[in-house]
Amino acid sequence: MNQAIRDKAKELLASGAVSCVIGYDVGSDGINARPFFAYTEEEADGLAFDQTCTHNLVKYLIDRAGKATAIVVKPCDARALTVLINEKQVKREEVFIIGAVCHGIIESTWGQKGSDLQGRCQTCTQHTPLVYDLLVGEPMAEPTPKAPLDHRAATLANMSVAERAAFWAEQFQRCLRCNACRQVCPGCYCAECFVDQLDPEWVGIRIDLPEKWLWNTIRAFHLAGRCVGCDECQRVCPVNIPLGLLNHKLEEEVATLFDFRPGVKADVPAPLETFKKDEKLGIGE
Amino acid sequence: MSQLISRSDLTAWINALLAEYTVIAPTKVDSLALYQPVKRADDIFMDFGITALSPKEWLFPPTETLFTITTQDGTMKLEAPPLDGKNLIFAIRPCDARGFRLLDKVFLAPPADTHYAQRRQNTTLIGLACSKALPQCFCTSVGGAPNDASDVDVLLTEVEEGYLVNIVTEKGQAAVAQAKLIEKDVTPPSPPNLKPVSTEGIVEATLRAYNDDYWERLADRCTHCNVCAFVCPACYCFDVRDHINQGKTERLRCWDSCQAPGFTRVAGGYTPRPTKGARLRQRFGHKLLYYPQQYGDLLCVGCGRCIASCPVNIDIREVMEDLQKLGVKSVSARA
Amino acid sequence: MSLLAPERPITNPFLPYLATVKGVTQLTPDIKLFNLELDDPEVREGFDYRPGQFAFVSAFGVGEAPFGLVSLPHWKAGVEFALRRVGTVTRALHDLEPGAKVGVRGPYGNYFPLEDYRGKNILIIGGGIGMAPLRPVIRTILERRPDYGDLTIINGARSPQDLVFADEFDSWATAPRTRLELTVDRGDDNWSGQVALIPSVVQELKPSPANAVAILCGPPIMIKFTLARLKELCFADAQIVTTLEAKMKCGMGRCMRCNIGDKFVCADGPVFTFEQISHLLEPF
Repeated sequence: MNQAIRDKAKELLASGAVSCVIGYDVGSDGINARPFFAYTEEEADGLAFDQTCTHNLVKYLIDRAGKATAIVVKPCDARALTVLINEKQVKREEVFIIGAVCHGIIESTWGQKGSDLQGRCQTCTQHTPLVYDLLVGEPMAEPTPKAPLDHRAATLANMSVAERAAFWAEQFQRCLRCNACRQVCPGCYCAECFVDQLDPEWVGIRIDLPEKWLWNTIRAFHLAGRCVGCDECQRVCPVNIPLGLLNHKLEEEVATLFDFRPGVKADVPAPLETFKKDEKLGIGE
Repeated sequence: MSQLISRSDLTAWINALLAEYTVIAPTKVDSLALYQPVKRADDIFMDFGITALSPKEWLFPPTETLFTITTQDGTMKLEAPPLDGKNLIFAIRPCDARGFRLLDKVFLAPPADTHYAQRRQNTTLIGLACSKALPQCFCTSVGGAPNDASDVDVLLTEVEEGYLVNIVTEKGQAAVAQAKLIEKDVTPPSPPNLKPVSTEGIVEATLRAYNDDYWERLADRCTHCNVCAFVCPACYCFDVRDHINQGKTERLRCWDSCQAPGFTRVAGGYTPRPTKGARLRQRFGHKLLYYPQQYGDLLCVGCGRCIASCPVNIDIREVMEDLQKLGVKSVSARA
Repeated sequence: MSLLAPERPITNPFLPYLATVKGVTQLTPDIKLFNLELDDPEVREGFDYRPGQFAFVSAFGVGEAPFGLVSLPHWKAGVEFALRRVGTVTRALHDLEPGAKVGVRGPYGNYFPLEDYRGKNILIIGGGIGMAPLRPVIRTILERRPDYGDLTIINGARSPQDLVFADEFDSWATAPRTRLELTVDRGDDNWSGQVALIPSVVQELKPSPANAVAILCGPPIMIKFTLARLKELCFADAQIVTTLEAKMKCGMGRCMRCNIGDKFVCADGPVFTFEQISHLLEPF
């Protein structure tokens, strides 16, 4: 698999078809992968893919607009890429997609090798990306969907509104407003995020519960129908706020209301970008 | 002879401290270790390795009121908030305590920052020596040590019989007044060995590599979040703005990060540091060049938090290594 | 711990002096001159500053921002700032009327070393709002006219309406051994003066570098091309002085916004010679 990625990368770089290949190499702990930009054939030898390649790299394509780029994607990343293409942030013709067959990503922290699959991977239904120009790895039968793993999802669903609010208040209280969730999110590409706007100042500078609450909930709403559940926001959160719970809940709501899963089909606009007469609105029904 | 406190007497001592101080100690919050005010000794989580966040926030809070603005009978008044009470940070790691030494140089230089200075004066630091090193630790390479007592008021070192108590300052003396200490001949354990990182000539190396492509290459993968700055015990960038809440106007100071895109943007739109590479260079330039030139030390305590929590594995040790190489011969930047 | 010496008197360095807006003069369509009186008589008496220094002005409820002081303390006629309406703070300040309360925190930074320039010919070049911090420089020289050589002032703006301190032009132009060159990028029906960019005016005028100092302030693009023209005329970097602008949150070298490499605009500047600027690590 590594060799297939490297060979293709070298070929693309040598022919000038792309000027950069975005993939993974081995991080400074010698264990976990990290994003890697190969600009030369020599650098392409550093490319690697394994079950620690957790990062969703497609957001890097936005910065490379106008420059032909190859990118290594997992099935979930490919869905995020489709979202970006549909939202006109990435031009399909500027990207060479190296789709990797994915056996799931291992839950691990820096400096330590994990053993269990990440929660999102345990319930994932895709091993093969839906979109690619080259597929690396052996295609395999797709698994049947499983119930969400995080028991908190079921617990939350059975809580009263007040109890849920208390749960999230406790979680959000830890938020530092470091914006890591936003910065890694492929869906968060606004030139100026609402939270950074000074005029009008929608959210003040306080790093305090009202602002943290506003930040996390508005961001979740902005991702409804667009989030592909890559859980990168949750992974990078330095204080372990279970943002995935919030995003998955909205993903399910959107699926129920609009029969829509983001990034599955190219050219199908997100439900909040369109209006259909027969749409259920969930009001008075 | 060393001074020793048994485990049960340590509990009694902490409970006695709680009457006099707000005790801030490592606690377990969900799966995280965080410094939080505790109500009783039992709330303290001693087997924490390193906390997710440094205790910096207890001297330099994420949000603080510099003054409030009130108007009464047509007269405007600006008032600084009242002083906090006495705080005690319990089980602070030597690296985190060294972070305060680095912040002191910035905030206590004239004109002293009243808010920081008052908290600093009213805070006692009870250190806890590290018995083991984590893969990200490198304090010994940046002037610290796992058992460094120089930045704490008291240093505790865990031994079989309990904890060795090394009283360093008068403040420490006052804090142990209620502790039941026994004299005993105990050999302190040798500190854990840390893999060294070469920092020799790093200031000059950073200067030499200043205009190298290295920064833009490194910034390729940087997401420009604020994690590194917010978890760092020594980072101190801040923003100052007013906040109006339910008719109350206050001027606030909040944490900020040099990595944020709008950090240097002036009204009108001009940004002197427009590229990702220029912003990333500011971070390492500050730690390895500007601060050292201004104050002598590197602006890093080797706690390794930024290494472990960086979403894309930008590792300051690797950066230092790369910078040193860049000065010597042209190498392809590791990016 | 010595830094915590209890004998050091500690006053909150972020606390501004309260001041009252005494006068507001519309200088251009988007620039107003604010005349402020510091409320505390003792503070008012002791508020000393020099041309080139700056202070933070607070619009309470919004925040504060740094601005060059455009008055001189010995006038005893209040503290003046010329503010262009461009951001949240200046917008809030522009909405204020005489009698309103603002905050003033400062003065900060270094200043133009006018004492050192005695006996020299002075060339002053200001573009747009960049002319504002040069006003106290001009006025100091005019007040002590015999101490200085020839004074040449080049004041440029986008349009005639955008020239600041127009009501002072006559007194500048009629002073002994003083020349005032006004120029605009775009004239109008009433404009009979020059229509040219500042660098071209410099090129035309060919000021001599002999025993001269050039003081520049304006937008980065103007600085860049004017600097090039001056160098063609053999001005040395050390003879060219400017004042830099940067985002600032403290004025005490702490908030890490205004540093240009290892130098702080707030503490090492804002006044720099181009010799000093040529050693700066980052572009300004």
